[in-house]
Amino acid sequence: MSQRAALLIGNIAHARKEWQDVGQIASKLYEYPEGGSRDDFLSKCKSGVFEGLFALYRSNDSNKVTGNFNDELLDALPKSLKYICHNGAGYDNIDIEACTKRGISVSSTPIAVNDATADVGIFLMLGALRNITQSFQAVRQGNWRGNFALGHDPKNKTLGILGMGGIGQAMAHRAKAFGMKIQYHNRRQLPASEEDGAKYVTFEELLKTSDVLSLNLSLNAKTRHIIGKAQFDKMKDGVIIVNTARGPLIDEAALVDALKSGKVWTAGLDVFEEEPKIHPGLLEAENVVLLPHIGTATFETQRDMELLVLDNLKSAIKEEKLLTQVPEQQKEKANI
Amino acid sequence: MKRQQVLLIGEIEHAHESWNALSTLADLVTPKARNRSDFLDECRSGRLDETRVICRTFASVELTGRFDEELVSALPPSVKFVCHSGAGYDQVDVNACTARGIKVSNTPAVVNDATADTNMFLILGALRGLNRPMSTLRDGNWRGRPLPPLGRDPRGKTLGIVGMGGIGKNLKTKAEAFGMRVIYHNRTEDPAADAEYVSFEDLLATSDVISLNLPLNEATRHKISHREFELMKEGVVIVNTARGAIIDEDALVQALDSGLVASVGLDVYEFEPSIHPGLIANPNVMLLPHMGTWTVECQKSMEEEAIRNVRGALENGKMRSLVPEQANGHG
Repeated sequence: MSQRAALLIGNIAHARKEWQDVGQIASKLYEYPEGGSRDDFLSKCKSGVFEGLFALYRSNDSNKVTGNFNDELLDALPKSLKYICHNGAGYDNIDIEACTKRGISVSSTPIAVNDATADVGIFLMLGALRNITQSFQAVRQGNWRGNFALGHDPKNKTLGILGMGGIGQAMAHRAKAFGMKIQYHNRRQLPASEEDGAKYVTFEELLKTSDVLSLNLSLNAKTRHIIGKAQFDKMKDGVIIVNTARGPLIDEAALVDALKSGKVWTAGLDVFEEEPKIHPGLLEAENVVLLPHIGTATFETQRDMELLVLDNLKSAIKEEKLLTQVPEQQKEKANI
Repeated sequence: MKRQQVLLIGEIEHAHESWNALSTLADLVTPKARNRSDFLDECRSGRLDETRVICRTFASVELTGRFDEELVSALPPSVKFVCHSGAGYDQVDVNACTARGIKVSNTPAVVNDATADTNMFLILGALRGLNRPMSTLRDGNWRGRPLPPLGRDPRGKTLGIVGMGGIGKNLKTKAEAFGMRVIYHNRTEDPAADAEYVSFEDLLATSDVISLNLPLNEATRHKISHREFELMKEGVVIVNTARGAIIDEDALVQALDSGLVASVGLDVYEFEPSIHPGLIANPNVMLLPHMGTWTVECQKSMEEEAIRNVRGALENGKMRSLVPEQANGHG
């Protein structure tokens, strides 16, 4: 058997021992810890430091070390690399097409993140329905209720979910317990068993008839700014927007305008267009509930995600198979 | 014969139509007094002597103070009904009312959804430790340094509900959608609860999250104090949307400072609107200014329910939602 070395880029916080255990099946374990830079990483790649590299572990966190996995970086990696095991449900920092072209398979960590992300989605939705920020801040400043205004109940409101994947379905399941009606839009309608009573509508209808719009789709070239001025104009007056997916799905400047005009009553956001930078119009607004992209930041979920990446890594080394390969690559396989 | 009167203490903000429609049955009056002593004088002056029904709001306590023995005994003899707009009626001394032959109603069922929603919001916020990142972000520091500690998932955690009434049952359905396992304690087991019934001590010892959903009265004041904290799991999360004085707030701050209690989510306080400085200073706790039922829909429903009680009292002397102490007494 040829060499099958594994590389860890960045940190493992909760499954250090399980990473060390990969050494029992890999020919060698490399680490490129935090503190490095893209230039340094590229030059190490080119000088053959990661000889025999077969599979690597990377994460959305470690992206700040290496930068995006694009053509330039993929060209620098050893030709022996066949598998990229990514920690994160979103993987817009990996050029999947470029990987596919080079025969590199990529996995992400769906499912593991569904609960934690949907929990934050509901938290933001409830907070936005109550327009909670003003009183939340007032109570801490010793002003009790401050300029208090009444909020709204979720009960009998229509929740529109754009992107009914695992997270969207987890969101729907929770929202139903709050008495909400669920409708959704996907490129394709789900089988009835996965719809669980939710109504499939066109994108247009979703915009026009939802009281709360939740974004649960992935970011790619087609979905960037999928919600902009034209879409806000179609929405109900006083709509509520929730985004736990990716910031650039929304044209943030258009959102700020819509919040100011009252078209959008309130919003709950965990993600931003230029994180960690936030549009000053959002920071100033009292009618938004804002979190610093912590959708999956729980002990249990972080550990589950790390273990899932390592399971992918081990499966790649032992059986040349990924457990949770990204859907773009699964489809291409299915078409062959 | 003079027409009977309904005295409104506080404001009807949403259900104007239903309120005004009562005028075919009675004269609708309001007190002139703007403070407690003037109100007591007004009661004794004879000006309110035709009052048969009083409709009062939660906020009206700022005008009259509590409906305690002193106030109840000052009410004109004509008063037979007090309709409280709100679920919690600890502002009204029910025993004093019963002794004077006054029936008291509240508005229980209509607050269940909004209160349970607030409860769930606080459970999520406290488990996930969301106060800290919400604050650092607003201060322009994104997640802050050092990074906030990781939160906990509700899935698989045990939620212990103390007081499985309408709000507790409503909360149970919601918490189960997040994958929580629900146990509860009441004075007596409730077959309709559809959850595991445990003793109070077992609930304290085995719950990951404890939710207080019981009314405040003499027996429940400081129901959670030093002894109870000592029985709890280390790292427990406590949520209170019922009444502040159910928890001994001093003891709570000590339990938070020692790390025994990991976090709390509070909508109510022992001496609200004043809040223990040890809570304000703690970045790990989720605090709201008693707004559990403060939605347009819920406020309107509460007013409508109180008005239905007024109407019942006027039409046939019967109120839909008599407080349990009196409802049980009447079999």
